[in-house]
Amino acid sequence: MISVSSNSASEKLDLANLTDEQRALEIKNLSLYYGQDRALHDISMSVPKHGVTAFIGPSGCGKSTLLRCINRMNDLVETCKVQGDILLHGKNIYDKGVDVAALRRRIGMVFQRPNPFPKSVYENVVYGLRLQGIKDRRVLDEAVERSLRGAALWDEVKDRLNASAFSLSGGQQQRLVIARSIAIEPEILLLDEPTSALDPISTLTIEELITDLKQKYTVVIVTHNMQQAARVSDQTAFLYMGQLIEYANTDTLFTTPMEKRTEDYITGRYG
Amino acid sequence: MQGQTERQLKASRSRLLKDRLARVGVTTGGVLVLVALLLIFFYLLYVVQPIFESASVKPLHSFNIDADDKTLALGMEEQAEIGYRFGDSGVAEFFALKDNSLAERKTGDTIEQKSLARAEQITSFARSLPVHQQFVYGLNNGQAIIVQPKFQVTFPETARTQGTRQVERLIMPRFETLNEGEPLQVDEQGRPLEQLAYATDGEGMLLTAVTASDTLLITKFVAEQNFLTGAVSLTPRFEQRVLTSAIRDIAVTPDLNKVFVLINNRIVVYSVSMSGAVSESQVIPLNGREFGQAQALNLMPGAATVLVSHEQGIISQWFEVPTDDGRTFKYIRQFDAGGAIVDLEVEDYRRTFYAVTVDGQLNVFHTTSEADLYSEALPNENTQAIAIDPRANHLLAEAGNELTLFELSNEHPEVTWSALWQEVWYEGYPEPSYTWQSTSGSDDFESKFSLVPISFGTIKAALYAMLFAVPIGVAAAVYTAYFMSPSVRKVVKPTVEIMEALPTVILGFLAGLWLAPIVEAYLPGVIAVIVLTPLAIIGFAALWQLLPTAIRSILGEGRASLILVPIVLLVGWLSFSMSPWVEATLFDGNVRGYLTNELGITFDQRNSLVVGIAMGFAVIPTIFSIAEDAVFSVPKHLSNGSLALGATPWQTLTKVVLLTASPGIFSAIMMGLGRAVGETMIVLMATGNTPIMDWNIFEGMRTLSANIAVEMPESEVGSSHYRILFLAAFVLFIFTFFFNTIAEFVRQRLRDKYSSM
Repeated sequence: MISVSSNSASEKLDLANLTDEQRALEIKNLSLYYGQDRALHDISMSVPKHGVTAFIGPSGCGKSTLLRCINRMNDLVETCKVQGDILLHGKNIYDKGVDVAALRRRIGMVFQRPNPFPKSVYENVVYGLRLQGIKDRRVLDEAVERSLRGAALWDEVKDRLNASAFSLSGGQQQRLVIARSIAIEPEILLLDEPTSALDPISTLTIEELITDLKQKYTVVIVTHNMQQAARVSDQTAFLYMGQLIEYANTDTLFTTPMEKRTEDYITGRYG
Repeated sequence: MQGQTERQLKASRSRLLKDRLARVGVTTGGVLVLVALLLIFFYLLYVVQPIFESASVKPLHSFNIDADDKTLALGMEEQAEIGYRFGDSGVAEFFALKDNSLAERKTGDTIEQKSLARAEQITSFARSLPVHQQFVYGLNNGQAIIVQPKFQVTFPETARTQGTRQVERLIMPRFETLNEGEPLQVDEQGRPLEQLAYATDGEGMLLTAVTASDTLLITKFVAEQNFLTGAVSLTPRFEQRVLTSAIRDIAVTPDLNKVFVLINNRIVVYSVSMSGAVSESQVIPLNGREFGQAQALNLMPGAATVLVSHEQGIISQWFEVPTDDGRTFKYIRQFDAGGAIVDLEVEDYRRTFYAVTVDGQLNVFHTTSEADLYSEALPNENTQAIAIDPRANHLLAEAGNELTLFELSNEHPEVTWSALWQEVWYEGYPEPSYTWQSTSGSDDFESKFSLVPISFGTIKAALYAMLFAVPIGVAAAVYTAYFMSPSVRKVVKPTVEIMEALPTVILGFLAGLWLAPIVEAYLPGVIAVIVLTPLAIIGFAALWQLLPTAIRSILGEGRASLILVPIVLLVGWLSFSMSPWVEATLFDGNVRGYLTNELGITFDQRNSLVVGIAMGFAVIPTIFSIAEDAVFSVPKHLSNGSLALGATPWQTLTKVVLLTASPGIFSAIMMGLGRAVGETMIVLMATGNTPIMDWNIFEGMRTLSANIAVEMPESEVGSSHYRILFLAAFVLFIFTFFFNTIAEFVRQRLRDKYSSM
């Protein structure tokens, strides 16, 4: 029913040797500790621009942790310690003096459960813009329409922009959150299992949206659902026990995995 | 298979029973809480309710007496068993108002008669205020005979019928004439006394009489006791004034130093000195108001109030109020009896008076509460005279020879809605005011039961406490929940919550005996601490941001606050050590004096500042605990969502976290307010309990709860005072009920709006 063909449209990239042009993000020897426990082991990979990169793996494999390293959301966990570099345009985001808030403006994130703020639809979308001190009503109005159209939500909510965000359905809320994230025009959009709390129809809508989003943004998605990874992503990284087992173009990884563990996972031996 | 199913069913039955028991237990508990609450509510209502009942007058029985003269005065002893009357034939008599088997009296029987003067001699009659129960016949030779009915009460043990002891009360009355039956000479020249007024203070007497229709005689008898024989001799001093117009009525105050003379449209007030010297002190003009012609004067108990009866049935009340030209009589209020008044009687102690009109209408009024307590026709419309017993629970009415005894029920005339909640012009006050003064040294004291000053005090105390507690409590809660490192939070939160368990009596004790003198002695220091501490904290935080990260990271994120401890201590020490110096240089060494003399601000040692701080401390844990939970329980994914959009922690706090936690913070504040309103011990010990109405932070207040605690032990059960204290409790109940309801309502609204997670 859902074809995997959308992937074939993008050219195959040599993930090991991306040019700076092609690269959105480079992760170098990244390790992460929660107290004494090591959650990520020496991960290195490059995320190409304008593509959808999926992280898959069984529960607790560290895929969400890795994603949260990219916009330093792990900083909020007190015992968490990060080693290694994540380079954004050649600049290590873990350097001292990096403004975390500014970093997060460039790397947006959407969480597992829809988390709209207790405000109106409109105020949710312009939240990030208001943080930056933008008050001009026209600019805001324009951003709202653009972002909601970008998140394929405009037609559904244009008549009730002042209604509470909670009046929307779960799937609409998640698209609102995506609209909120793209309103501040980030370079990279991190999606942490964005459909796991949604029904199949909403999931489908979001997946279609993700395919659209990659035209403008680099998308990194964590998913539990291998079919979803296969459907929406261009590259897939398989993580297991905090280690990056395999990272390849999606159809390669799903059809001819190099590693035995990858094969076992995608064929459902464990997970 | 079937057996197995049965077993399973059996097992589940015991579980079902437990489940049912638990449900019944929980339901019972909940219902009992509700029942207890309702019981309190209805018990308060039950105690309070009688104060809003109006008076009732119920006829007990009527009887005839044989008398062929006209009654000059009617009276009763306090058990309402024996009545008496003074006739214009000079005969006074006692008669039974109730049957008494012991004395073999039947209702209406004459018990004793005494002839005091010959009918043709009698020209006038007067009576003292009801408290003294003395009656005076004025004679045509310028003399007066003073009579006092006396009652001797005994409880003889009577018939021992079938082993039961029966004790019955026996009252033996007699008339006693003062001055050993010798008439007192009121007029030196022996002219007939046409009108007479009389007062006594128990020893001396003041008699005022009118002779030759316009000549006023004021005769004071000064009592002197011969300390060898113990005999009391009365020395008269005679004064005389000739007035230009006819005198309508005269009255004398029982302190023997004022005489009121009603002439046409004015009252002339004479002052009488200790020795009896008379001087005209004031003229009260009665015209200019549509009262109608003034007819008669009456004094209220305490003698501060003059009631003037006017021809159309208006009764106006006048008393002295302090003005710029000294104390002058002023019109205060009026009552309308609805018809010309034939008799007006005042009660012995309370400010209630009874007026009978020509068409037999009985009106009961109370001056303080301005209440028209009763207004109905008496059974006999020819009623000419009434009498109230000293306990004010019986009324005797006379119409011709027929007397009717009524049961009078007028327990709480001084309490009306307006007396409780509106400004009332009390006797001797310069203007209407809200005053709470429930008791005083004398029986004829006018009780001042305004709940406004104590309700105001409650709000004032709560407000100053909240002013202190809300910023600290909420800020501390937000910091602890949102910024503090979990390890510090684990210590801080329980510590603050333990403060809640501190008995408030200790806080009150400390506030009253330790803090209040410190605040008084180091006032500039205390003010400086209050102002400088937040400034120092903010200033330090700003400096901290400028420090290199290396130094900042020594303590670790969320622990930097610990450095504030020495900072706060330092500011405190500085403020207090500079206090005497500031006081010496800026305020001439005396801040209190400066406040009072230069700024006109009263300073009490036990004041709202002390209460604000002490009660603030009592309220902070409540606010802190609930607000902290509210902030802490804001879903992490909401704040993460904000942070992921590039918000700083501060932006996330103000724009998302506080918004979402607002219902909780709001209810924390309302809970704190509820606690502050109901708090008793701290305000009792640290406010001075002065029921004043002033927002001045340097003056005290009296709160509803403290008022109940202070006055309940000394209140007579069932009295108006007692019931009003219950009303105060009820008001407190309503206060907290109101605050909690509003809080719950707003909280629900906010919760619908801001939380869904």
